[in-house]
Formats: sequence, C-alpha cells, structure tokens
Amino acid sequence: MTELARYDAAPAALEVQTPAVLYVIFRVGNAEYALAADSIFQMESFTGATAVPGAPSFVIGIVHLRGRIVPIVDLRLRFGLVPGPTVLENRIVVGLCRERLVGLLVDSGREVLKIAPTQFQAPPKILEDQTGGFIKAVAQVGTRVIMLVDFAKLIGEESLDGV
Amino acid sequence: MASNGTKNGSRPVKTVRAPKQPRLQSLRQAAMLANAVDKAASRLSAASAEQATQQEQARVTIEDVFSKLEETAAAVQDLVRSQRAVSDSTTLLQDGAEGSTATLQELAASITSVKKDSALLATFSDATATTLEEVARSIKGVSANAEDLAAASEQLLGSVSGTASNLAEMTLRVSSKAASVEQLGGTTEEMARSVARLATDTEAVGERLVSVASSMGKIEKTLGSLATGANELATSVEQNSTTTDLLARSIGAVAEHAKQLESSVIDSAAMVTQVAASVEEVAATAEKHAATVHAAASSIEQVAHSAEAIARGAEQIAALAAGSAASATELEGTARQLAKMGENTKSVSLAVNEAAREGAATVGKSITGLGKIRATMADSALVMKEMGNRAEEIGDIVLTINLIADRTNLLSLNASIEAARAGEHGRGFAVVAEEIRALSDRAATASADIGKIIRGLQSTARKAISAAAEGSKVADEGATLAADAERAMSAILKGVEDVGQTAREMSRATEEQVVANQYLAQSISKVSEQSRTIAVGANEQTLAAKTLAQGSVEMRLLAKQTSIAAAEQAKSMRNIVKANAQLKGGVEQVSRACQEQAVGASGLAKAVTEMRAVTLYMSGALADQSREASLINAQTRELTSATQRTIVGLSEQAKGAVEVGKAVEDFRTRTAQMAKALQEQADGGKQLEAASRLVSRLAEQVTLATGVQAVATAGLAQTAEDVRRLAKQTSRALEEQAATVAATAANVARQTLNLGSTARATTEQAAASEEILRSVDEMRRRARAAVTSATHEKTRAGAMADDARQLAAQSSESSSTARAALEAAVGDGGVSAKPLF
Repeated sequence: MTELARYDAAPAALEVQTPAVLYVIFRVGNAEYALAADSIFQMESFTGATAVPGAPSFVIGIVHLRGRIVPIVDLRLRFGLVPGPTVLENRIVVGLCRERLVGLLVDSGREVLKIAPTQFQAPPKILEDQTGGFIKAVAQVGTRVIMLVDFAKLIGEESLDGV
Repeated sequence: MASNGTKNGSRPVKTVRAPKQPRLQSLRQAAMLANAVDKAASRLSAASAEQATQQEQARVTIEDVFSKLEETAAAVQDLVRSQRAVSDSTTLLQDGAEGSTATLQELAASITSVKKDSALLATFSDATATTLEEVARSIKGVSANAEDLAAASEQLLGSVSGTASNLAEMTLRVSSKAASVEQLGGTTEEMARSVARLATDTEAVGERLVSVASSMGKIEKTLGSLATGANELATSVEQNSTTTDLLARSIGAVAEHAKQLESSVIDSAAMVTQVAASVEEVAATAEKHAATVHAAASSIEQVAHSAEAIARGAEQIAALAAGSAASATELEGTARQLAKMGENTKSVSLAVNEAAREGAATVGKSITGLGKIRATMADSALVMKEMGNRAEEIGDIVLTINLIADRTNLLSLNASIEAARAGEHGRGFAVVAEEIRALSDRAATASADIGKIIRGLQSTARKAISAAAEGSKVADEGATLAADAERAMSAILKGVEDVGQTAREMSRATEEQVVANQYLAQSISKVSEQSRTIAVGANEQTLAAKTLAQGSVEMRLLAKQTSIAAAEQAKSMRNIVKANAQLKGGVEQVSRACQEQAVGASGLAKAVTEMRAVTLYMSGALADQSREASLINAQTRELTSATQRTIVGLSEQAKGAVEVGKAVEDFRTRTAQMAKALQEQADGGKQLEAASRLVSRLAEQVTLATGVQAVATAGLAQTAEDVRRLAKQTSRALEEQAATVAATAANVARQTLNLGSTARATTEQAAASEEILRSVDEMRRRARAAVTSATHEKTRAGAMADDARQLAAQSSESSSTARAALEAAVGDGGVSAKPLF
C-alpha cells in the first residue's frame, strides 16, 4: 500500500523534477492498461499455472517463479470477461504487495511508456463507483487511451489478506 | 252255183221211200238231163267269152302294130327330114369350111405378124430383165449397205447404251463416294441435296420404269392376244386350206370329167378347138402381158419412189449422224473434262490423305505432349507438396523466431523495469533495453510478416497441388480425347483412302468412257459413211428405175398392140368356133374354166399353205416376242426393284448430313462439280442415245424399205421372167398355132371332101328312106284291112256269146225247176236217203 501510495504521490511530487514516469503498458481484451514500472517486479511469460483448490475464482493457480511460489490472478476473469486462449503473447505482470509477489495474467504486455502526470485525468465518477475502484486514472497518449489501474484492488487486498 | 244249189237240194231226196219209186225214177232222169243241159250251157258261155276276149286281143295287137307303123313312118319321115337338113348343113358346112380355110390363111398371116411382135417383145423383156437384175443387184447392195447401217446403228446404240451404263456406273460410284464421304464424317448439305436430287431423279426413273413395266405388261398381254389371234387365224387358215383342198380336188375331178368329155369330142372339132384355145390363150397371154407390163411399170415406179425415199432417209441419217458425231465429240470433250476432274479429285484426295496423315501425326504429338503435361503436373504437385512441407518448416522456424522475439521483448521490458528501478544509473541500460525491445519488435513484426507470407505460400501451394491434380485429370481426359481423336483420325485416313480408291476407279472408268466415246464417234462416222453410200446407191437405183420405167412404157405399147392383134384374131377365131361346134365350145369352155379353176384352186391352196406357214411362223414369232416381252418385263421389274433399292439407299444417304472437314469440303466441291458434269454428260448421252435410236429406227426403216424394194424387185424380176416366158410361150404357141392352122386348113379341106361324100351318102340314104316309107305305107294299108276284118269277127263273136249266155240262163232255170220238183217228191213219199249224185 505504501509502495503504491508512494507511486501515487510521486507524479505530483515529481511533477517539477521529472515530468514523466515510466509505465508498463499491457492489454486485456480490447483495452490498454498501465502500471508504474517501479511497482513491477518483473514480467514473465505464461506457460500455465497449477490450480489451487479453494482459491478465489479469479486466481487461476500458482506458478514457480525464480524459486518462489507466486499466485496468478487472471485479469480477464477479474474484469468479468471470458477467459482467453493461452498464447505466446500472454504475460504475467509480477508485482509486490505487502512483501508478497502476485502475478497478473494479461493478454499481452510488450512496451513501457513514459507518461507525464498531466496526461492523466480522473476517471468519470460513475466509472469509479461501478468498477469497484480498479481504474485510478485515464491517460490520453496520442490516439491511445490507457487506463491506470490500482494493483492492490486488482489483486483483492481483502481476499488476499484472508489467505 | 247251180250245181251247188242242186247238191244242197238233193239232200232230203235221200229219205225218199220205196213205194213211190216209178215217179222218182223219171224225176231223177229229168233232173239229170237238166243238169247236163246246164253244164253244156255253161261251157258254151265260157267258150264264147274266151273267143270274144281273143278277138279283142287280136284287135288290140293289130291296132298296136298300126300305131307302131304310124310311128315308124313318122320317124322315117323325120329321118328323111333330118337327112335333108344334114345334107343342107353339110353343104353349109362345106361353105363354112371353105370360108374357114380363107380365114385360117388370114389368121396365119396375122399370127406371123404377132409372132414378130412377140419376138420383139421378148427381146425387150430380155433387156428389161437384164436391167431389173442390175437393179436387183443394186438393191441388194443397198440392202446390204442398209443392213450394215442397221448393224452399225445397233453397234452405235450398244455403244451409247454402254456409255449410258458407264455413266450410270460412274454416277453410282459418285454416289458410293458420297457414301464414303458420309462415313468419313458426314456429308455436306449440298451433297445431301444433290443426292436427294439424284434420288428424285432415280425415283422419276423408277416411276418411268414402273410405267415401262406396265407398258411391257400391256404389250405382253397384247402379244398374247395377238398370238391367240394368230393361232385362231392359223386354225381358220387350216380349215380354209382343207376346204380349198377339197374344192381343188372337186374341181380337179370336174376338170377330169371335162377332159374326158373333151377327149370324146371328134377330131376335127378338137383341132378347131385347139386352134381356138391357142388363139384364146394367145389373147389371154397378151392381156396378161399387158397387165403384167403395166404392173411391172407401176412396180418400177414404186421402186423409183422407194429408192427416192431411201435416198431421203439415208440423207436424213447422214444429217443425224453428223449431229450425233457432234454430240459424241461434245461427249468426248465432257468425258475428258470429267477425266481431268477425276485427276483433280485424285490429287485433292491425295492432298486430303496427306493432310489427314499430318493431322494424325499432330494428334499423336498432342497425345505425347499431353502425357508429358500429365507427368509434369504430377512432378509439379510433388514439388508443391515439398514446398508446403518446407513452408511448414519455415513456419516452425518463424514460430521459433517469434518465441525468441517474444523472449527478447520480455527481457528488454524487464531490463527497462530494472533500469527504471535503478534510476539515474540505469539510464544507459534503459536505452539499450529500449533498442533491444525495438529490435525484438521488428523481429516479431518481420516474423509475423514471414508467417503471413508462409501461410500465403502454403495456401498457394495447396491450391497449386489441387490445380496440379485437376491439371493431371484434365491431361488424362485430354489423353483420352486425343486417343479418340487418333482413332477418328485413323478412320478418316481409311475413309480418305477409300475416297482415293473411288477417285482412282472413277478416273479409270472415265478413261474407259473416253475410249468408248472415241469408239462411239467411230461408229457414228461409220453410220454416216454407210448412209452416204446408201444415198448414192439409192440415187443410182432411182436412175435405173426411171430408165426401166421408160423401157416399160415402150413395152406396154407393144403389149397393147399384141393384145389388140390377138383380140382380133380371137374374134375371127371365135366366129369359126361358133360356126363349127357349139357343144364343143361349151365343153371346151367348161374344161378350160375347170382347168383354170383347178390351177387357180391349186394356186389358192398353195397360197393358203404358204399363208398357213406364214401364220404359224407369225404365231411362233409372236409367241417368241411375247416371251421376250415377258422377259423384258421381268428384267424391267428387276430393274425397278433395283432402282427402288437404290432410291432407298439414296434416301438413307440423303438423311445423314453432318459437318465435314475443310479438306473434305474442297473434295466435296469437286465431287459436286463432277456430278454436275456427269449429269450434263448423262443428258448428252441420253440425247445421243435418242439420236442413235432415231438413226437405228431410220436404218430399220431403210432396211425395211430396201427389203420391200428387194421383194418388189424380185417380183419385178419374176414378172420380167414371166413376161419373157410368156413371150416365148406366145411365140411357141403362135408357131404351134401356125402349124395347127395349116393342119386345120388341110383338115378342113379334107373335111370338105368328106363332107361332099357325106352329102352324097346322105342323099342316097334319103332315097332309100323314101323307099322304106313307101313300103311302110303299104304295110299300113294292109294292117288297116286286117283291123276291119278283125272288128267284124269280134262283133260276131259277141253275138254268139250273148246267145250262149242266154242259153246258160235258161238251162239254169230249168235245172232249178227240176230240183224243186225233186224236193217236192221227196217230201211226199219219203225219198230214200241215198243221194242222187
């Protein structure tokens, strides 16, 4: 939370020093989403996960990653979309949350972008209420619309706490 | 009767009794007496009657004698009269004989002059006969020429028919060629149309043939009925002949009788008759002469006319033959054209053959090419498959590249993340990571492109494979089609060879036709030559006939003179004959008539026999003709059926009309031209045939005319011979007549002498006859006296007989009285039963 908060606070703080922050861009369904690069542990390719009985429905299992067991959250399931096929482009975006690594399964994730904090706007209120608070901001990059997501909410902090 | 009555009456007398004996005795005596008287009276009466009869007989005899005497007297008187008449006649006859002698002398002179005329006539006749023989020879020559002409015409006709049949054969060959062309791949419409036209023509021919067949049937029927008629005629002639034979025999018998009768006629009369007959004969001969000469003259005129007609006919034939020659030349030209066409056709068919061979070769090449295509297609498919496999491999490689690119991207992303985390220290690293990511992105893009290309390549390869399979299939089909084409091509080759064969045959036939046409032209020129010869001969004949006619006119004059002289002779002779013997004349006439009749009858019989033979021959010939007609009819029917078959074949041929290749089309055009030329040629042949038929008919007419002329000339020669013979006969007869006349003159002189003595004897006979007459008169007178006395005697005898009859009646009466008395007596006294007598 603190990490994320630090990242959240950073754009405002870095606004004068570093006008742009590096984000990792990934795609789920037809939309592009962004996470701050310094909050990402690493990116991995997805070759399948070992299902864990009793886990929440959006947690498709666990994978062995550099000597650590990492649970995988399928964002398609999390976003209420039908699960997609396993392809080469699938990525696991591994982030840190309370000293634990959690992987997000996305359709693809191929680039990092520097986006200035002024490029972000607050999402519309109705979206904020209805989407469970996953989207923190929306950035316009050229013609692309990139949504900044809340990692903690994505991984379901409460549920994970329960585990 | 009286005695019987007496007997019956005496029966009761038997019972007379004895006591009256004395009276009965007397009665018996009286009765006996009465009976005796009765008997005597009867005898007397009979004797009287007999005497009367005898008297009557004697009278009749005497009267008979008397009448005989009367007759004798009359006869003798007749005899005397007759003798007187005979005497007178004899005297007259003597005068007549003297007159006859004078006439005979005149006659002798006349006969001498006639003889001279006859000799002259004979000379003329000889000359005429010689000329006629020449004419006959000339006619025979003309006849031979005409026969040659007829033969040449026949030959010509045969040639024309041969040409016609050649043409028909050629037409047939053309038709078969058409069939070949049809087999080859179908006929063009034009060909079909021409065949249809041919079919129509043939149908027309068939119809004509049918009508010919029916005509032939009619002819046959007519010939049959003609033969029947001829047979009937033969039968009737046979009957006629029999009747004529009978008549001839009868007339012969009559003639025999007449001859016998004639031979019984006295010598002198016979001599005169002979002379008369001879003169009559001479007269008749002269008349016949005149008639014969007249007939000969008209015959000669006929011959002249006939010869002129022959000359005209021959000239016509020559003109026709010239026309025919022109036609033949034209025909020959057409045939040559046809031959050229045939050659063209041959070359065309050769070209077609070559083209077909080339086509076959091309088709073979096509087949080979198609096979190669098929193989290549299979190879291509293989290659494509290989390529597909390679593409798969490439795809795998692309996948690997993608994987590598993905991993590189991942790595670069992680590096970027690490660099970001490193802050300022990671800035250079971040740049490198960014470049790597860019490279990996490019690699991914490239590999994606390659993947796309590979996918395209693969689909293309798959398409190529299926296309190759299809191509292979198509090539297979093409190969099959090509094989079919090869087969068809070989069939075409065969057909073209057939056509070539037909064309060669046609060419050969056309050449034959050319030869035949040349022969035809020769024949026609021969006909022309013959007819010219005939014309020349006929003209010569006409000249000779005219000369003959002139000679015959002179002869006619002479004959007329002779006839007149003979007629005069005959007239004078007839006078003699009339004076001499009417009976003999009649007999002679009868005999002559009979003989002539006999001769005529035998001639008639002969003529009838000849007629019978001729009729039988005619009947046979008619039967032959009928047979031939039926044969022709059968042949015509066969021809008709063949034509119908041909029609059927032609219509079948006409049915199929399909496309023909270009080479065949050229050929077809040639064939059409040829057919047209053939048709023209056939037309020309038909015209030629018609012309030759006309020539043949004319030649036949000429032959007929010359035959008639020959017959007429033969008749003329015969007539001339007859004339000569008659002239000689006349001459001889005249000589004989002269001799006979001399003999007759002598005979008549002798007769005159005889007649004188006959007259004397007749006079003496007359004197003796008168003596006889006188004595007969005496005899008559005496006979008349005897008759008178006999009449007296007869009267007396009659009176006596009357007396006797009276007496007999009386005695009968008394006898009956006596019998009555006796009966009465017996009734009184019982007369004894003993009979009186």
